[in-house]
Amino acid sequence: MTPMTDRRTVLKVAGVSGATLAFSSKLGAAQAATTTKRAYVIVVDGCRPGEIDEMANLKALRDGGTWYPAARSLPVMETIPNHVMMMTGCRPARNGVPANSIYDRTDGAVRDCSRPTDIAVTTIIEQLNASGRTTGTVLSKEYLYSVFGDRATHRWEPFPLLPITEHAPDAATMDAALTMIDEFDPAMLFVNLGDVDRVGHADLTGTTLKAARTAALASTNIQVGRFVDKLKSTGRWASSMVIVLADHSMDWSLPEQTISLTSAFDADATLTGNFQIAQNGGADLVYWTGPASERSTALTKMRTLALATTGVFQAHVIDQTPSLRLGPKAGDLLVYCKAGWRFSDPGPQSNPIPGNHGHPATEPIPFFVTGGSAAVRKGIARSARAHTMDVAPTLGAYFGVKPPQTGWEGTSRL
Amino acid sequence: MPIAQFAHGVASGDPRPSSVIIWTRVTPTSASKPGSGVGPDVTVRWQVSTTSTFTSVVRSGDVRTGPARDHTIKVDVTGLLADTTYYYRFVYGSARSASGRARTAPGNTSSPANVRLGVVSCANYQAGWFSAYRHLGNRNDLHAILHLGDYIYEYGPGEYGYGQNDVDIRKHSPAHEVLTLADYRQRHAQYKLDPDLQRLHAKYAFIATWDDHEVADDAWKGGAVNENPGEPAWATRRAAAYQAYDEWQPVRLSGTAALGDGTQIYRRLQYGDLVEISLLDLRTYRDQQLAVQADPATADPDRTITGRAQLDWLKDSLTRQATQWKLVGNPVMISPVTFAGVPRDLVKPINDTAGLLPPEGVPYNVDQWDGYTDDRREVFEHLRDNGVTDALFVTGDIHSGWAADLPADKATYAGTRNSVGVEFVGTSVTSNNLCDITGTPPRTTSIGVEEILKANNPHLKYIDFDDHGFSVLDITAKRAQMDWFVIGDRADKNAGVTWSVSWATTAGSQTIHAVDGPVA
Repeated sequence: MTPMTDRRTVLKVAGVSGATLAFSSKLGAAQAATTTKRAYVIVVDGCRPGEIDEMANLKALRDGGTWYPAARSLPVMETIPNHVMMMTGCRPARNGVPANSIYDRTDGAVRDCSRPTDIAVTTIIEQLNASGRTTGTVLSKEYLYSVFGDRATHRWEPFPLLPITEHAPDAATMDAALTMIDEFDPAMLFVNLGDVDRVGHADLTGTTLKAARTAALASTNIQVGRFVDKLKSTGRWASSMVIVLADHSMDWSLPEQTISLTSAFDADATLTGNFQIAQNGGADLVYWTGPASERSTALTKMRTLALATTGVFQAHVIDQTPSLRLGPKAGDLLVYCKAGWRFSDPGPQSNPIPGNHGHPATEPIPFFVTGGSAAVRKGIARSARAHTMDVAPTLGAYFGVKPPQTGWEGTSRL
Repeated sequence: MPIAQFAHGVASGDPRPSSVIIWTRVTPTSASKPGSGVGPDVTVRWQVSTTSTFTSVVRSGDVRTGPARDHTIKVDVTGLLADTTYYYRFVYGSARSASGRARTAPGNTSSPANVRLGVVSCANYQAGWFSAYRHLGNRNDLHAILHLGDYIYEYGPGEYGYGQNDVDIRKHSPAHEVLTLADYRQRHAQYKLDPDLQRLHAKYAFIATWDDHEVADDAWKGGAVNENPGEPAWATRRAAAYQAYDEWQPVRLSGTAALGDGTQIYRRLQYGDLVEISLLDLRTYRDQQLAVQADPATADPDRTITGRAQLDWLKDSLTRQATQWKLVGNPVMISPVTFAGVPRDLVKPINDTAGLLPPEGVPYNVDQWDGYTDDRREVFEHLRDNGVTDALFVTGDIHSGWAADLPADKATYAGTRNSVGVEFVGTSVTSNNLCDITGTPPRTTSIGVEEILKANNPHLKYIDFDDHGFSVLDITAKRAQMDWFVIGDRADKNAGVTWSVSWATTAGSQTIHAVDGPVA
């Protein structure tokens, strides 16, 4: 985690639940800005499109705004890269964040792609700040808090973090979001609600899964209801655009349906010791670390071995597949699992988590632009295939902010 | 009164953004009867207008026809505007056909608010009057008609009619099972003389595929059920049936309106960014049906219902990104309909130790995808692996109404509710269903069977084994809804129509729910 720097001020206030909420703000930022136009981006992490119908408050938001039912997450269908795509408006080849987990050739180690310096372009957060507006981030996961660093005018440090899942529960996250609205009233607030995703990761199949998932959806629905009530009760609704989406969808695998590429590659004497794997749930990023002169042959061999492994869906040589737009930090080979499977490297017991995403089965996401603002088209749906990277251009269009020098690849969905 | 020279009416089909097929048959002399091979080659003029009075003819031309093509005329009119209603007619000498109406598809990059299709299948002339076609033709809110096959039936009089005793409400012509090119031509001509069907053709473009009875019952690539000694070889018979179909239907076989250049009927039609329709051919390339329903060979990966090329084409259709909805015009049911079954992942270990099991349970009907489950497994896995949303199978064949989720794994569906798409099945225009076959009153015997099937197959939400009629499928970006309308007695030429049920699928949900009323 990036520690708070002494260049920011820290405000500690008691939240609704009584817990202390810690916010850090850029020096000189007004505690409550004068704002007449607001935008909120709420990410229901890991939510499947059909699940919106199980959440009355979200369904009402969807049906009252502009809904994109064909929306998709983008490779790799993981949390960090898709949140970064939302805020940068471009794909990983340009923004520098291709996955949750990467092998850092400089460090010589696999690490989370969550350093603030991993983001290589200007975010919409920084653009809005530069336009004289204030911004806020309330992100339930530590690595999200980390990757966006101190870009926002105001940011909340996720707390309390639940053990194992390392995320703040939605109730605490929403406490922080509502408090941030009260205290700072940022023009743009970026919120990640992590419960739905984390329950997805924590359970398996059958009634237990369904019950747990249903409970998480119900809880998140309540939290979003609190958010809408806040906007309406404080008179902000009419001046607000609310973008609701997920970063990726969710899939589940049976306990025995694991894939280990390590063992397949290690069985080949020319490969063993010459590769690294960064696991990203349903996607493995494979990095060739052997002699450059052997790379091409090795990649062909690794791809063949991967495709021959039960449970593997696709294997792409990244620099030969431009449509992936992943960039060099993603390594050499992207291997996707089939639905119902997961990667577990180096061995079958290494990844016990059945809930899974990262592979194409987890591309479909909810995505709707709603709120009381006159800029929002009400009660319609569009067949166009929206993507996570469309968030920044949509915010840009809403606030009248032009693309940064590095450009946007997404499209405004206003 | 039909115009004698154009007694078989007019029709249109396969609308695209800038083109549509228009069709008629001219009878230049009284001797030039369908299938006769008699009569002169003649020139017929066709005209297309934006007005019903033809004050502004925007496209026209002359076309030659004659006995070699049974005096049929089929023109692929190009250069039209997208999402536009056109009127068309034909002129032979001083005779002018009735005018027809067709609406072109919206442009491929446009975003239509909705697409509304009439859905029909299984129209057996002998089993009754085509009231379903008449009532569908009374509507003014459709873009086109989706015909899912069994447009004609091959039987002779007394062989397959109305109810348990096969009473012929109307008799087929020719008065025997159709076997030759002349036979099939005459049979098509007889159907095209039906006033209800003729009116529907004139009002809306058809988007049609065939099922088995366009050739013969339970057709497969090498034969059919009702082949008998002394009849033409299967290849000869099927070629004749396909030729007559090509002559008499406003479809593009192998991508063109020309005759004799191929018989590939599986094809795609697009309506803006909203929906692409992929029409299947589940007869031409399939292996023979199994004789025993419990035969584990239902899952043999070497057996196919689609053929390899069509299966690859279908998979491509399902992952194309140009449209939101992937509508599959599916002649036979794809939903599993079985009794019992074990989870797919357990089939192999059980079979390794205890012998052979049909992996998805004992199927109800092996003429459907249930008889070729490896093809279905491949399609369903493709949908799931690729995260395909809004795959919608619309089906005919089985003379009954169904609505179902498509379970990723039938055996675990009750717990997981994991569905990869949905299926709506329209009932028959006239062909017998369960209560007709059992001879029991509607909503008696069938109810028990329906409940047993639903209990064994929790993904099946709606079954109606008793009624005949048509459906209306309305698709928007938010949802797809199918309304089932049922007619009264097929033996009554003036049978009425009532709305029965409606089911819908919300976009992105891959599951269905009941709806309180029809879209219109």
